Amino acid sequence: MTDDKDVLRDVWFGRIPTCFTLYQDEITEREAEPYYLLLPRVSYLTLVTDKVKKHFQKVMRQEDISEIWFEYEGTPLKWHYPIGLLFDLLASSSALPWNITVHFKSFPEKDLLHCPSKDVIEAHFMSCVKEADALKHKSQVINEMQKKDHKQLWMGLQNDRFDQFWAINRKLMEYPAEENGFRYIPFRIYQTTTERPFIQKLFRPVATDGQLHTLGDLLKEVCPSAVAPEGNRPGF
Amino acid sequence: MEVDILLKAVGDTPIMKTKKWAVERTRTIQGLIDFIKKFLKLVASEQLFIYVNQSFAPSPDQEVGTLYECFGSDGKLVLHYCKSQAWG
Repeated sequence: MTDDKDVLRDVWFGRIPTCFTLYQDEITEREAEPYYLLLPRVSYLTLVTDKVKKHFQKVMRQEDISEIWFEYEGTPLKWHYPIGLLFDLLASSSALPWNITVHFKSFPEKDLLHCPSKDVIEAHFMSCVKEADALKHKSQVINEMQKKDHKQLWMGLQNDRFDQFWAINRKLMEYPAEENGFRYIPFRIYQTTTERPFIQKLFRPVATDGQLHTLGDLLKEVCPSAVAPEGNRPGF
Repeated sequence: MEVDILLKAVGDTPIMKTKKWAVERTRTIQGLIDFIKKFLKLVASEQLFIYVNQSFAPSPDQEVGTLYECFGSDGKLVLHYCKSQAWG
C-alpha cells in the first residue's frame, strides 16, 4: 500500500468544482446568488454542504424551509451515493462547473432517502465499510477494531483528514501474507443505461489457477456488455 | 425471480409467526421493513432495523437479490430485524 500512496492521495483529494443555484420556485426575500464550492469526490453531499444551506437560508423565511435536497437536470441527487459517483454518472460529459439546483420544498420521497442529521450519514458510511469488510475479511478486521477506531474512520472522512482516515483504513486494506488478496473484492458497478441500481456480486481476486484477476476479468464476468471483443473500442 | 429469506428477531422485538419468506429479487430493504412492520402491527413511526450477517444494516434502497447473492448461504438469506440499533 505504501507504493500506492500517491494514488491514494490523488483519489482522496479529488475535487469537483460545483455551482449551486437555488430553484427558481423557492420563495426568497431577496435575490439568491449562486454559491460555488469544490466538492470532495469521496464524500457525501449532505456532509459537505452546510455552507450552501446557510447561504440560501439567509434569503429565505423559516416557514419556507424544509429539508434540503439537490437536483441535477431534473434528477434528484441521492446523497447516500459518493459525490464523485454522482458526477461521473450524471455530469462528467458536461462542462464544468457542475451545476446543481438546490431545493427546500417538495422532497421527492420516492427518489431520495431522508437525511435528518449527520448521524444518518455516519451510520450509512459505517454500514458500507462493514459490508465491504464482510466481503474482504468475513468482517474479522472491522469487528476486531474498537469503537474509537470506527469513530476515527468517520472523523477522518468528515474532517477531510487523509492521514487520520488511512491510519485505520490501511488495516482494512491488508490481507494475510499467505493469501494473495481479499476473500472477495467489494465492488459495485453503476451504469446509466440500466434500471438496476448497481451490479454487486461475489468475485475472488485470484483465479483457480492462481493468476491474479484484473479489472478486465471482473468486467468480462459481471458486466460483459461494457467490454468490447478484442480489437474494438469498448461500448458503453 | 424470488429468493428465500429467513427472518430472525433480535432482543425483545416481536417474533414473526412465519419466518421463511420467498421474496422478489428486486424487493428493497425498505419494502421488507414496511412489510414486517405491517405484519407485526407496529406503528408507522416505530423504527425497524434490518441486519445482514449480524454486522451491517444495508441501505433501505438495496435489493434483496443482491444481498442474497453476496451474503446468502444454504439457499437462503438470513436477516435479523430489531426495533433498536443492534449492531451499530
